[in-house]
Amino acid sequence: MTDTAIEPAATAEPVIEADDERAADEAHDQDVLDDELLVEEISIDGMCGVY
Amino acid sequence: MRDRALRLHPQVAIRAEPFGALAYHYGNRRLVFLKHRDLVDVIEQLNDHRTPADAFAACGIDERRWATFERALESLLRSEMLEDAATLADAPA
Repeated sequence: MTDTAIEPAATAEPVIEADDERAADEAHDQDVLDDELLVEEISIDGMCGVY
Repeated sequence: MRDRALRLHPQVAIRAEPFGALAYHYGNRRLVFLKHRDLVDVIEQLNDHRTPADAFAACGIDERRWATFERALESLLRSEMLEDAATLADAPA
């Protein structure tokens, strides 16, 4: 009976680096998208004493 | 839009908040959230610059964001938070 060595999984570093770049791009895109929500009008009808 | 002289309506008060600012119009009682500090900076600069484009540049706004900021200023114009600065300038003495 022999022990079969379990090969370690192939290193995922290149995939992680690509994910980091993708995350950075998505964060930048999100910053730009967030700019789409620069103004929001709020209805305060009926809210006596708010201001 | 970016070449149109604008200013904050005199009946509008702006209160700084962590997310940006609240803008309240005492005339029409509208309340608007300004959801980014950069937009607040731009609005504060409108009186000191001839056009929104000049204010964008003065505040260091990335040109890729100018279209979004223009849409925000248009929204503020529709809710009367901003008005044409030329209206006052052209008024007879």
